[in-house]
Amino acid sequence: MTRSSRITEDEINDLILKLHPLLPDSSSRCNTKVSASKIVKETCNYLKKLHKEVDDLSERLSHRLASGNVDEDTIRALLRR
Amino acid sequence: MKNPNTLKKKLASRFLKAMKKLKYKMSPSPPASIAEKKRRHRAVRAAAYASMASAVGPRRAWSRALLRKMKGRKRARRNPGNMNTRFGLNHLCDIVPGGEAMDSCSLLNETAHYIKCLVAQVQIMREILHSSSSSSTIL
Repeated sequence: MTRSSRITEDEINDLILKLHPLLPDSSSRCNTKVSASKIVKETCNYLKKLHKEVDDLSERLSHRLASGNVDEDTIRALLRR
Repeated sequence: MKNPNTLKKKLASRFLKAMKKLKYKMSPSPPASIAEKKRRHRAVRAAAYASMASAVGPRRAWSRALLRKMKGRKRARRNPGNMNTRFGLNHLCDIVPGGEAMDSCSLLNETAHYIKCLVAQVQIMREILHSSSSSSTIL
């Protein structure tokens, strides 16, 4: 897709607003009241939080793996869903 | 974006396969040293990001960046000109894989997709943890 090299701040602002519904607690706040900068900041925080969750869950899963308590049947069921 | 259920299934299947491989590399039950526990933790975490990246494949810049990182390739060149700093995007680009090489528009599109995949991955990992409680069948 070709686009002109000057992308307007309005276009960027619109793209940022589209991120808002992906953030947690976004439904409890009126869209028009949140600034683009705030959305970007909250997106950064949310991503860091998700990375931390992956890290914590990885640690817990590594313990579970080692102890051998992961059920083959439940995993097949998970995959089927 | 693809049907989220298809993506989730793909993520789950790859991650579980990776976990199975890890399982066989682990020495059995006697308590592991702290170093060994850390190694296992890092291995599972690497498997999580690896399976995310390979499930999405080369279709996204963020997954390409992760795949490059896994293969030990060099990072894409940092993109100096096009990052809009007014909204704080210069911080976001350091958090999203490959963000440093993207222009503002790409970064925002990639971020949206990356968030959805991360959320799905977290859900899968939680489901595996919660489902593996009572039974003792070995993976």
